[in-house]
Amino acid sequence: MQDTGKNIIIAGVGGQGILLFSNLLSKYYMKLGYELKISDVIGLGQRGGGVESHFRYSNEPVLSPFIKAGDVDYLLSFEQTETLRYLHCLKDDGVIFSSNFELSTSSVNTRLEKDMPESKTELITKSGNKTFIIDLDENKSLDFDISKMMNIVMLAFYAEFRGYSHEEMIEIVKESVPAKFVEGNIKAYEKGAMIARAQLA
Amino acid sequence: MKKESKSSTMKMLNGNEAVARGAFEAGVKVASGFPGTPSTEVMDYTQQRYPDIYCEWSTNEKVGLEVAIGASFAGYRSFAVMKTVGLHVAADALGGAAGSQINGGLVLVVGDDVGRIAGDDYNDVRHYGNMFNIPVLEPSDSQEAKDLMIKAFEISEEYSTPVILKITSVICKTTSSVAIDENDTYKVKCRQKYSVSFSKVIMTTMMMNAKGSEHPKLTKCFNDFPAHIKRLAADSNDFEINRLELRGKKIGIITAGTPYFYTKEVLPDASILKLGMVMPLPENMIRELAAHVDQLYVIEDGHDIMEKNIKDLGISVIGKELFPKFPEMMRFTPDIIEEKLVPDAPKRILMEGIPFRLPVSCAGCSHLFISQILKKNKIKAAADVTCGLIGCFPHMESYSLQKCMGSSIALAHGYNVATDHKENFVAMIGDGGFWATGINGLMNLIFNDSQSTVIIVDNSCLAMTGGQHIASSEFGFNYKPENKLDIAKVCEAIGVKDIVTVDAYEFENLEKSILNAVNAKTNSIVIVKKPCVTKFKLPKSDIYHIDQDLCTQCRKCINIGCLAIESKKGKDGKVEIVINEDLCVGCGLCSTACKFDAIIL
Ligand code: SF4
Ligand code: SF4
Repeated sequence: MQDTGKNIIIAGVGGQGILLFSNLLSKYYMKLGYELKISDVIGLGQRGGGVESHFRYSNEPVLSPFIKAGDVDYLLSFEQTETLRYLHCLKDDGVIFSSNFELSTSSVNTRLEKDMPESKTELITKSGNKTFIIDLDENKSLDFDISKMMNIVMLAFYAEFRGYSHEEMIEIVKESVPAKFVEGNIKAYEKGAMIARAQLA
Repeated sequence: MKKESKSSTMKMLNGNEAVARGAFEAGVKVASGFPGTPSTEVMDYTQQRYPDIYCEWSTNEKVGLEVAIGASFAGYRSFAVMKTVGLHVAADALGGAAGSQINGGLVLVVGDDVGRIAGDDYNDVRHYGNMFNIPVLEPSDSQEAKDLMIKAFEISEEYSTPVILKITSVICKTTSSVAIDENDTYKVKCRQKYSVSFSKVIMTTMMMNAKGSEHPKLTKCFNDFPAHIKRLAADSNDFEINRLELRGKKIGIITAGTPYFYTKEVLPDASILKLGMVMPLPENMIRELAAHVDQLYVIEDGHDIMEKNIKDLGISVIGKELFPKFPEMMRFTPDIIEEKLVPDAPKRILMEGIPFRLPVSCAGCSHLFISQILKKNKIKAAADVTCGLIGCFPHMESYSLQKCMGSSIALAHGYNVATDHKENFVAMIGDGGFWATGINGLMNLIFNDSQSTVIIVDNSCLAMTGGQHIASSEFGFNYKPENKLDIAKVCEAIGVKDIVTVDAYEFENLEKSILNAVNAKTNSIVIVKKPCVTKFKLPKSDIYHIDQDLCTQCRKCINIGCLAIESKKGKDGKVEIVINEDLCVGCGLCSTACKFDAIIL
């Protein structure tokens, strides 16, 4: 069946390259001729604040820049506390892709708030939605720091899941990142595709 | 609203980029203003992409708007950009321009922080439209942001009025497709219709006893501004940018901006009046919609301004009573509209107990040193609007007073006068706030003989909005080394007796200097120098670690407010206080805070 479009929330914290991620993904969908609306909401806070990107592509003009809770097809999250913030937005058959990276929240660090007693990874997997956790410890690479390249790893994982052409995606990465980073990015991309293949098998 | 010509291609632009493009296509000559989230990038993109347009960051919003007004009087299209909070500073200049003769189109691009996404207070720029009787345009997506920017100049010239283009944090940060004609070339416009342009006060004073006088000396000064706005209101019923979409007869919605799209998505069958110009209102169109539907609603971001203006026309409409504004709602979302107008839609509820991310400072920020020294020595102080205001948050508690940008010097002076200078309440101000309006506070402090202490944090840029240049920066759009202003020299010329300049990372020296200044029986200034760690990407020195055997988990180090210090559950489930190696820059501040010598290199 032809893909008429999807609603995606991309979440994480400042400095994780989320804007680059949504930029790369948008180029892919533009090449396929889709209409797009991407809303990047960077929360209150200097560094380490939450980042939330609403990414919508469709074969018809996209109306609202924000996705209504309950209308999200895919949640792609780079930080697990942030994953929890958007679980309720997923459709019943929506899919979660989440890193198990955690940046402790300042309010917990300073004891103004209590941390959640449960394991966040478990809370995510218990949501009832189809879930893929990208485990940073299990997927360590000698070539690069996976937590710093999570955006490219996630891009490859998502492309594998959707059955998109890796050649085209890598082409977009090459066009978009400075020459000196291309090699490292491609390594991260290949790693992401590998992790995805292992989990999807 | 897509106007595609043959040679145009679709480009993905965010709202800020689209406004800049609109300025280029409108043939703007001069762009000025002051940085402010969310609209700062309008200037950045204009400067980077359209070299034909003269760009400047001015010392503050009022100066920025005055520059644009002068350029407009010279006949050239010009705009000033700022956030709504900044327009409070520039309001006097706007009042002066409102109702006066306009030569080249004059547009004020104002960023409204709907939803408090950037952290502003609940401001709504449209109040200025009401107060000064000037038109306000509001786009719903990037295409409209570009189109309305151009339309704003046309309205400004045709109806002799400044025009406000209201853009919101959602518009600014949303990317969507815009039709761009790549073959378009820059065409500057110049229009000199009036030989004078005076504020309404001058104009009306002259006309007061001159009714019926045809003397050219009088008539050339007179601008019949109420008539212009009346004509605009009448013409707006035929403006393409206001659009009546008649569908079902049950629900009619008057809306503007991104709420238009939320409405259309949630209520596809509703009849909608979509306004591109939210002020003045197209009365006939509203009446037509009202006659078509059973119930009329208004859905507007920000305050209930359209609602009140519609009710003033004698038309009944539901707005605030169904969608209570604050504090329940910070901005519209499709979810809010659905909840109220589609009662049987399923509800989705956010998981409970997810911890909040309180703002923290970048690792190595010089402000943290000052906050720490003030707190350690129990020095009472006022903060300003700077990255350092994070010191006001409950985990830091370094400041007890904080108001608007540039205010801290006068706030401290007021406190000291009232308390007979017994406490020396200190002012902390950033270099941006100092040049913007704080310098006035300093002049005031000197000639009123105040013995106050001011700490000026010189980080060589306007850090909070992403590192734009200021008068004392060593870079900038129009930068020349010989024009750079020196904070210490200016303070000296103003008459400050005691001025020292210290490197922020020399903790002991800085502490001594601040204590000396506080104890001196004269006015004094401590200039704390360190370039912004984020803007200038300072080289990292050796990073620090916490020796878990020595750490007692007292959390003193966490409360200095550095992003790099975290409390984390280790593998065995035990909580540890750790330094994030990726974030730490090795400034050493945390090691001065630990009483157990647990923080080591
Ligand atoms: S200040 Fe020292 S003892 Fe206290 S939590 Fe920090 S490292 Fe541990
Ligand atoms: S040395 Fe301490 S205060 Fe400085 S950046 Fe590192 S963790 Fe933060």
